[in-house]
Amino acid sequence: MKLFKFILLCLFLISPVQADTIYELIKIPHLEIYNIKTENKLRYLNAKQAFTIGVDNNINCFKSSKQDLDKKYKIIEKNLNRYSQNFLKKINLKYIVMCEDLSISGIKTAGIPDNIMKTLIVDIKFNDKYFERVLHHEVFHIIYDSYKNIFDEKIWSKFNPKEFKYAKCSTCTEKIGLDTYSKPDGFITEYSRSTASEDMAEVFSHLMYGNLPSEVDPILQKKIEFIKKGISKIDENFIL
Amino acid sequence: MIEKIKASTSEKIIFLFVLILGLFSITSFLLLKDKCLFVKDYDPKKIDFKDPNNIAVLNVGCGNVIIELYPEISPIGVERFKTLVRSKSYDGVAFHRVIKNKLVQAGDLEFGKKGNIDYGKIGTGKSGLGTIKSEIDKEFNYLKGSVGLARTQKYDTEDSQFFIILQDEPLYEGEFTPIGKVIYGIKVLEKIKYLDKSEYVLRPDFINSLRMFN
Repeated sequence: MKLFKFILLCLFLISPVQADTIYELIKIPHLEIYNIKTENKLRYLNAKQAFTIGVDNNINCFKSSKQDLDKKYKIIEKNLNRYSQNFLKKINLKYIVMCEDLSISGIKTAGIPDNIMKTLIVDIKFNDKYFERVLHHEVFHIIYDSYKNIFDEKIWSKFNPKEFKYAKCSTCTEKIGLDTYSKPDGFITEYSRSTASEDMAEVFSHLMYGNLPSEVDPILQKKIEFIKKGISKIDENFIL
Repeated sequence: MIEKIKASTSEKIIFLFVLILGLFSITSFLLLKDKCLFVKDYDPKKIDFKDPNNIAVLNVGCGNVIIELYPEISPIGVERFKTLVRSKSYDGVAFHRVIKNKLVQAGDLEFGKKGNIDYGKIGTGKSGLGTIKSEIDKEFNYLKGSVGLARTQKYDTEDSQFFIILQDEPLYEGEFTPIGKVIYGIKVLEKIKYLDKSEYVLRPDFINSLRMFN
């Protein structure tokens, strides 16, 4: 053990201090600037090598090829350009980290939002079928984390039938289907049934992506109105 | 009787070579010891400033660093900085955080004063004037020499600590309150003591004085 500590100390002493501005700002290592000259001042970063972060290093993501980044960046930017600089400031989102095979505790995920660090990590290899909509879903989590008082889960849950109960967490359930129901019954996708915040994010993402079902039931209608009202409280100029 | 022997030409050349080598070594040693040798020391009195009321002169080991302040960009931040400069609060304060070719940071008035440094707490000290609001809404290019107010991970926690960047840092825009830019003497800052293995400096260099020009 002493030898191990000695080797660690030696490694520390021979390693010069590295000036990593991105790490200094958002505490994610191995990133580089992809594009920071954007209309709404979002800063796009990409992994220059795999990184591990989080409690017990449970979040992992990997470097993407330049070709994949260029292709997906256009899609991400097109969708996120719908949020104005003013709105992004209000919700505390500034950095978009692009990488692939994103996972948290071994579970694959499309994105990891962190409104404290103003960062959204996006898996650019996430299922193309849902990719654009999921971007808005993840943005909603940033909104939700910044405005929990507006998007009150108790009020939201009352929209549902009395016998319905959400799972304790989004990963504690098998309800992960992202296909939009053609005839919704208060829920817009299977994943909506997981937790209240995921349900809200699913409604918001469908509103943003513009693929609400043609038939909307009364419960879902109440949920849509709730989301619209909540967003207008944050920014009355936001077009939803 | 000792016979006097004349040195041959080659012996004279060797002697001369050794002499020159010796002189060269001594001179080099003395020159290399002086880290400020090739650093120009600017005299603010010889410079014609457009806005002399917003010029601050930071004097450190290798000379003067002349900073132009931007109250139109960050009125609250510049006012705080001027208040502390006028009260001479920054005199004898350490450059406690220095990253080679990246930035120098000073201004911990509580734990960074010469003769009273607390290495365990340096960087966390306060001025006693309270924190001020971050001013990050206006456009500002963080180019080499830009001066900003340091803060904790949270906004609106700026106080007395400031940093000067030694390279362009475009990501700092919108993150840190800019208060000005070095217009003369950036090389003086490149000579501030740093450590290769740590951002925080043991036995750091200090600010000799920091004054408003007018």
